[in-house]
Amino acid sequence: MPSASGYFRTHYGEDTRLLDTRTKRVCYALLVVILVALPFVASAFLLDLANQVYLAIIGAVALMLLTGYAGQISLGHAGLMAAGAFTAGILFKEVNAPFWITLPASGLVGATIGVIFGLPSLRLRGLYLAVSTLALHFIVIYAGGEYETKRGFSTGVIIAPPRIGSWTLEDPIAWYFVLGLFAAAALLFGLNLLRSRTGRAWRAIRGRETVAEALGIPVARYKLAAFVVSSMMTSVAGCLFAYYRGFVSAEAFSLFLTIQYVAMVIIGGIGSMLGAVLGAVFVVLFPYAIEALTQVLPTPAAWANAVFAINYAAFGLVMILFLLFEPQGLVGIWRRIQNYFLLWPFKQAPLSKGR
Amino acid sequence: MSKHTWMRVGGVALAAIASIAHAQDAYVVGVSAAMTGPSASTYAPVVDALKAYLDNVNSKGGINGKQVRLVIQDNQGEPSKAAADAKKLVAQDKVLMLINTSLSSTYAPMVSESKRANVPLYYAGAVCPAETMPPADPLQFCSTAFSASLDSQASVNFIKDSAKEPVRIGFASMAIPVARAGIEQAEVVAKSLGMTVVEKQITPPPTPDYTPFATKLKEANPNWVFSWSPWVSQVRTFEALRRLGWDGRYVTWAHINAEDELARLKDSEFYVIGTNALLVDNVPMHAEIRAVTHRANLKYPASYLTEGFITGMVVEEALRKTAWPPTPAKVLAAMNNLKVDLKGLRGGSLEWTKDNHFRTRQHYRVWKWDTAKNDVVRVRDWVAVDVKQ
Amino acid sequence: MQLTINIVVLAAIYALICCGYVLIYRVSRVMSLAHGELMMLGAYGLFATAGTFSGHPLIAIAVAAVLATMVGVLVYVALMRSMTGEAVLAAVLATIALGIFLRGAMVLVWSAQEQHPIRLLGWTNSAVSIGETARISAAALVLVVVTALAYLSLYFFLKYTVWGIRMRAAGQNPLLAAQRGIGLHGIYALAWALATFTGGIAGMLIASDTALDQTMIIIGLKAFPAALVGGLDSLLGALIGSLIVAAAEVLMIHYIDPLLADVVPFFVLLVFLIVRPWGLYGSKEELDRV
Repeated sequence: MPSASGYFRTHYGEDTRLLDTRTKRVCYALLVVILVALPFVASAFLLDLANQVYLAIIGAVALMLLTGYAGQISLGHAGLMAAGAFTAGILFKEVNAPFWITLPASGLVGATIGVIFGLPSLRLRGLYLAVSTLALHFIVIYAGGEYETKRGFSTGVIIAPPRIGSWTLEDPIAWYFVLGLFAAAALLFGLNLLRSRTGRAWRAIRGRETVAEALGIPVARYKLAAFVVSSMMTSVAGCLFAYYRGFVSAEAFSLFLTIQYVAMVIIGGIGSMLGAVLGAVFVVLFPYAIEALTQVLPTPAAWANAVFAINYAAFGLVMILFLLFEPQGLVGIWRRIQNYFLLWPFKQAPLSKGR
Repeated sequence: MSKHTWMRVGGVALAAIASIAHAQDAYVVGVSAAMTGPSASTYAPVVDALKAYLDNVNSKGGINGKQVRLVIQDNQGEPSKAAADAKKLVAQDKVLMLINTSLSSTYAPMVSESKRANVPLYYAGAVCPAETMPPADPLQFCSTAFSASLDSQASVNFIKDSAKEPVRIGFASMAIPVARAGIEQAEVVAKSLGMTVVEKQITPPPTPDYTPFATKLKEANPNWVFSWSPWVSQVRTFEALRRLGWDGRYVTWAHINAEDELARLKDSEFYVIGTNALLVDNVPMHAEIRAVTHRANLKYPASYLTEGFITGMVVEEALRKTAWPPTPAKVLAAMNNLKVDLKGLRGGSLEWTKDNHFRTRQHYRVWKWDTAKNDVVRVRDWVAVDVKQ
Repeated sequence: MQLTINIVVLAAIYALICCGYVLIYRVSRVMSLAHGELMMLGAYGLFATAGTFSGHPLIAIAVAAVLATMVGVLVYVALMRSMTGEAVLAAVLATIALGIFLRGAMVLVWSAQEQHPIRLLGWTNSAVSIGETARISAAALVLVVVTALAYLSLYFFLKYTVWGIRMRAAGQNPLLAAQRGIGLHGIYALAWALATFTGGIAGMLIASDTALDQTMIIIGLKAFPAALVGGLDSLLGALIGSLIVAAAEVLMIHYIDPLLADVVPFFVLLVFLIVRPWGLYGSKEELDRV
């Protein structure tokens, strides 16, 4: 987003620079400082929420690359996370593999499944593609469930916290930094990929496949690449999830999880990395916010037994309202706020409308 | 939104933070339950009854002069939600005891959280895991009526005792790990008692039509069928069997809605076996259940609430033995040596010892519908089963 | 014989549910993932009217059917109407959000307790003998007949009536249809109304055959593979897809392993997606980008 008051770029490199203005650099530095300080002041519950958000960001960035940039719909996100988590769980239980083996292994499994998930995309488009990934979701979950039942882990596979040397990753604050680093890495990786040839190819494919092909972009290869990259990241997120929660079970990766990730991408604002982050924050925190609100607001005594149903219904309702009144997502709101301050006090109707 | 509204929202948020911060002046118990979602009908009544029971205790002055505060979280039967719930209950609400009333898939995350914080974990209305039986896990407790292996044994024994002819037994269960384990146990017991096992049908969780499964079961021509599963699967298989013209006897577990369902089915060869007295047994406690639920304005019929009441009685007794100021360790000590008089709601009192967190004796009764009397009747009175050390 | 009946009943269940998926997809290219909840709402509608009009079962059913239809119109007017211009994925997400909302709202109003609307109507679901060895429950028989009627009338509706032809036109090329003076919003609302009507009837009949509980939502999703095998935009395809999936499921239960019954529909679906991705009778089409 260029500054409103001018367009001061002198060479092409500046177009793709991540931090282009001093204000931006200062803002991000401040953000990093706040994030580093957060775990030392937050309660254990808030810390857990923050960790959940970080986990969600990794998954949301992965899905944003695939859906928001390359334009391929996937409903297999929970299945991919399950694949990563089960890789970690099975390797841990069967051969007692350490963290530094299970993590890359689950990335590898994710990439392999990505190829399989991606192959139908060469023939299928739109909703049909979505449903083929849905079928793969059910197959991964079925396989995981069978593993659990056959090995007698009927209430889930319990995983010990990861050990690196003699140090055990168990403390929530340590987890906060580990997950934070992974989330930041995923975000940077995504952003860098997007300003490379691959990212431009994806956008072209999303824009119009035929045109992209006419421009000489090998569409099939880049589509597969999108699936592989996204699946690998998702699978790693699943592996981290398994270690963070200390268990793996097929029921933890329901279709509802996929829906949550799709909701992150759409509520955040499709086609924007900032959107993925904002969407992840929103979707993770929203149910807790509703819960806190219904707890505080005076509810009629007759409703006391129904507070959960109200929470549940409210989640659906707010999601509907969001889709109806803010189709551009949270990023849309963010840009409007940004523009308001950028243009202040010279805001005029045509200027603000033009964006 | 106007500035005014924003201020109001901000005020609400501040109030929320303040209400969390206020000092602990009550016994705080945390529940993570499937209050909504596909499995809610089995679990929500238990929690509602527990809440009504403890509200009643509070209105009478509480326990040891202190109130009991029940913090209920809805996990929708989802493991990840249960994990977050447990973390919140332990870290933020500083609960003395965690209660799980949900699907067995939510156990693992709660166990790991309870271990981390050393807070006792109590399964109420959720199937008892093997860890609660001797030798018990130090932190896990269970008062739920049902537990796969004992129930299967008791049921097959009942069939053995009441059958005059040679038994050709069929089994039906839902495709969830716990139920499958229960049915496998029943199969072993049945074989050891000299019965012929003719068929075993395992149905996937929700299925629109149970007839295909029942057809196969019926074709094996059993004269008795035993099913130990969630109620849906038990009763739908039975109804499908009857519609196919099967006329044998069906023995199944008395879940919370058994009494209602007996009256609906009106089938004199449909037996339910259970450990919680039905309303037809009419013990004095039932009058109290009715009174309390009426006051709490619950939507469920009184017959659904026994399990939740038993949970309430156990929680009350455990907290009564916990001197003020309470800590999870004190509650754990109280739970490790607990005897609760269930006043006729079960065949005997519920006893927990250091290495038995299930109960020392389990009592089973059997009921069915009597067409002549047009009412539910008791087929067999309490039979005690010792829980092996 | 019994096996055949089992296949027919299961196929009829799937087919009646699929109606809704196909109708909505055909005209607006949106996949409604709230169908299970809308079915359940229909069944609860019957439960409510059966309580209100006790003693007059036919009136109760008629009122419930009208209510189910109105729900469809309401859903379109209040929600889906403003999603028409948006990306397909956003519209699908809107139906998911609607589903979540309805699930909570239904527990709020009727609690999670299992209900039996048929008892309130004063009927029992007895069994009927067919031939010497086979039997079918009364509700299942009604369901098969209703499904047949629904498909027949939909066939005539789409083929011969003005509104049916308009509907097909809107599905084939909305822009052209609009330029020829067809009010798209009316057509879309009609499609939603028909979808919730058939879905509601399916919900009522399933609730009569077994019971009305929270699992109905998942049953709605289980019919999904059947719709896709047949091709999402063809009613004939949905019918045949339902038969294939139901047959595969019943035979799998009977001859191989009941445990696999859950995976079979998706397996059939995968095979079809590899061989004929547009389904048996679906049209090969250029689908939207995200």
